Amino acid sequence: MQKKIVLSLALCFSLVSLMIGGCTYMQNKTAAAKTFPLKPITIIVPFSAGGGTDLIARALEKVAPKYLAQPLVVINKPGGTGTIGWNELASSNPDGYTLGITALDLIVQPLYGPTKYHYPTALEPLVQISNSTFIMVVDAKEPWQDVAAVINYSKEHPRELTFGHSGIGSTGHIVGEAFASTANISLRQVPFRGASEAATALLGKHIQIAFMAPASVKEHIKNGTLRALAVSSKQRLTDPALSHIPTFTEQGLDIALNNPNGVAAPKGLPPEVKAELGAAFKSIISDPEFKNMIEQLGGQIEYLDSKQSEAQWLDDSKKLTKIIEDTGILERIKEQKN
Amino acid sequence: METISLLLHGFSISILPTNLLACAIGVLIGTLVGVLPGIDTISAIALLLPFSYSMDSTAALIMFAGIYYGSKYGGSTTAILMNVPGEASAVITCLDGYPMTQKGRGGAALTVAAVGSFIAGTIGVVGLTLFAPPLAQLALAFGPPEYFSIALVGLILLTKLTGTSMLKSSLMATLGVMLGTIGLDSLSGISRFSFGIDELDRGFNLSILAMGLFGIAEIFTVMTQSTPQPKVPSLHFKDLYPTKEEFQRSSLPILRGGFIGFLIGLLPGSSATIAGFTSYALEKRCSKKPAEFGYGAIEGVAGPEAANNSVVSATMIPLLTLGLPFCGGTAILLSGFMIHGILPGPTLITQHPDLFWGLITSMYIGNLMLLVINLPLIGVFVQLLKTPLNILMPLVVLLTITGAYSINNSIMDLMWITFFGIIGFFMRRTGFNPLPLLIGLVIGPELERGLIQGLIISNGSIYSLITRPLSSAILFLGAAILLYNTVPWFDKFTKDKKKVHP
Repeated sequence: MQKKIVLSLALCFSLVSLMIGGCTYMQNKTAAAKTFPLKPITIIVPFSAGGGTDLIARALEKVAPKYLAQPLVVINKPGGTGTIGWNELASSNPDGYTLGITALDLIVQPLYGPTKYHYPTALEPLVQISNSTFIMVVDAKEPWQDVAAVINYSKEHPRELTFGHSGIGSTGHIVGEAFASTANISLRQVPFRGASEAATALLGKHIQIAFMAPASVKEHIKNGTLRALAVSSKQRLTDPALSHIPTFTEQGLDIALNNPNGVAAPKGLPPEVKAELGAAFKSIISDPEFKNMIEQLGGQIEYLDSKQSEAQWLDDSKKLTKIIEDTGILERIKEQKN
Repeated sequence: METISLLLHGFSISILPTNLLACAIGVLIGTLVGVLPGIDTISAIALLLPFSYSMDSTAALIMFAGIYYGSKYGGSTTAILMNVPGEASAVITCLDGYPMTQKGRGGAALTVAAVGSFIAGTIGVVGLTLFAPPLAQLALAFGPPEYFSIALVGLILLTKLTGTSMLKSSLMATLGVMLGTIGLDSLSGISRFSFGIDELDRGFNLSILAMGLFGIAEIFTVMTQSTPQPKVPSLHFKDLYPTKEEFQRSSLPILRGGFIGFLIGLLPGSSATIAGFTSYALEKRCSKKPAEFGYGAIEGVAGPEAANNSVVSATMIPLLTLGLPFCGGTAILLSGFMIHGILPGPTLITQHPDLFWGLITSMYIGNLMLLVINLPLIGVFVQLLKTPLNILMPLVVLLTITGAYSINNSIMDLMWITFFGIIGFFMRRTGFNPLPLLIGLVIGPELERGLIQGLIISNGSIYSLITRPLSSAILFLGAAILLYNTVPWFDKFTKDKKKVHP
């Protein structure tokens, strides 16, 4: 009996102290923002675990404790091509404890129709981390050795070639349509649910062309099962396994579309928190371990600070608007939405 | 011969103490993930990724693979004992597993599930060891038109899985297909039937519906029953294990389930769930006593449980040889690979032979470990039934809801799970079985996608579905089975006619 009383008293005491502890903790947070961060920082990934964007967040998660003194915690909020996660980010508390990964879809989705997040006013970029590209790949057994060969073939056999991408209006689709309209050829587009399904169909020769992020096709290019014909970025990739792939511009086609990833926060961060985070992410990105991980995925580190990232967003938005209008993607989506 | 020396080399890696420990931790966590209703493999592995950062890459991957295949072992436990599926793929086990528990044969069902899982799991790993590269090429031969044909045949054949009337089953399956169309359709880029609610863009998750329609609905059903405690039959040691007859009856279903699961695992999508359904349908057809199905036929536990375990090894094939994940489970494994700086693909076997063979051999060891862990646990789990229901059931609800939240980190999902719990409760009262609904939900989107993609690929010609050899073979097979099924019906019909007009 005695024991029980002692035990329950001890339990009560510890609970009360926990409560008091919680109070002081709250005070700390408001009083001393200088000692940011005091608790783990959540980073929202608006795609499911296992995708390219998720992997960048995981790489950040792995390296961050060295520079932030607190862990980063990755939370996946997939759905709606990123919009669900970004909505949540835009409506979260701007205290620096909730951040989100950004991708090109952040810019693309609002072009198709209103999203709840209005990124120029609701989100604040902290850094741009990396800049990747889309690789145009064909099966290695196909005869085409360069982009010109594909264009010639397609001109002789209009609407025979198909290209795969991860869904209408997805970034891969945009690059594909941009290619077709710049080259003045007519390709049939086949939407898939995600890049890996498109890659599967390409390897099974059910489609002829695909526009993919490097991570999905790098090993197949190295192994010679797929042939890369062009990259969509302005410059060639630096990865030794992929640096042999010429850009579209080199082959006389005016296509330059990058695939950037970055970190953003809801608008209205306290300036010192923003500065702290900006500096921390800058050092994370220059960490050799982080750099190595991103390069493994076929990405390239390309640091931009907050101001530059914001300018990049607006620039990309302009460029993408033009492409989706010129290629008729916008019209097509609008038509279906009505 | 070469394979044997490679295997031995692999075992020399997987038997290293760190890797053995990683394997043990993996399968233990996997069992737990499987047993706890709601928590699914993908979110469990995603949650554990950060803990692997400091681990050696081989050990980390052995652990993640362990969680993946381990979770399929545990999924049957709550399905059999409480009619609450621990994993979406274990839904089918509820059909006969739970009636067995009510008859006092729950322990036997659990043992058969564990042994079946072990045998089929091993069949799967052997298949993976011997035939990975050619099977990967075979999987690639299936394009969108073939997926459409398989989905169509599957939907028709699987709908009549439960004992309820064909009309009710078809109704449920159609409802499932309809639910499957909700959400952002990646093929057209528009959201359908979402009424402007963002959260609906994600579509319905199979696990959420399975937990709701089966798990939560069962809890509601228990709540409304006037008898406070179903009598737990005596728990003698011999009751925990199957009789000789039960073992004999389950041996063939386990083997068949193992092979079927392995083949279905090569298809993209929710192959573990579909494999279970297919195996159940097959066993019902092969059985001499099909009337027992749904009322505690041990074959209905053995086959599907075997099938959903051999699926796992098959899904590893496209991942390890092509670097392409065909399902959510292997997608998160791919993440695990990449975080440790390894891009799986056609070069994995030559560039990282230690990792490749170490991982595969660890699956042999892991399957054995799972059997050793699970058999003694059966006694413990059966004892759980002695817990008063007013304590046990709220705990199950708590676990289910927690797990459901972890799938998408979404509150909306919790509302759906409750909503479908209520729907499931009324379905039961009115004699509907929600299983065909799940079949529709799984297969419907595949059907639609296969058709749309197939039509685009063939430039809009619907005949391509029949002219492509693989696709037409599948359709023909389906038609033959349908025809075969209508013969007895037709027979009966003419007999009835004769009776009326002698």
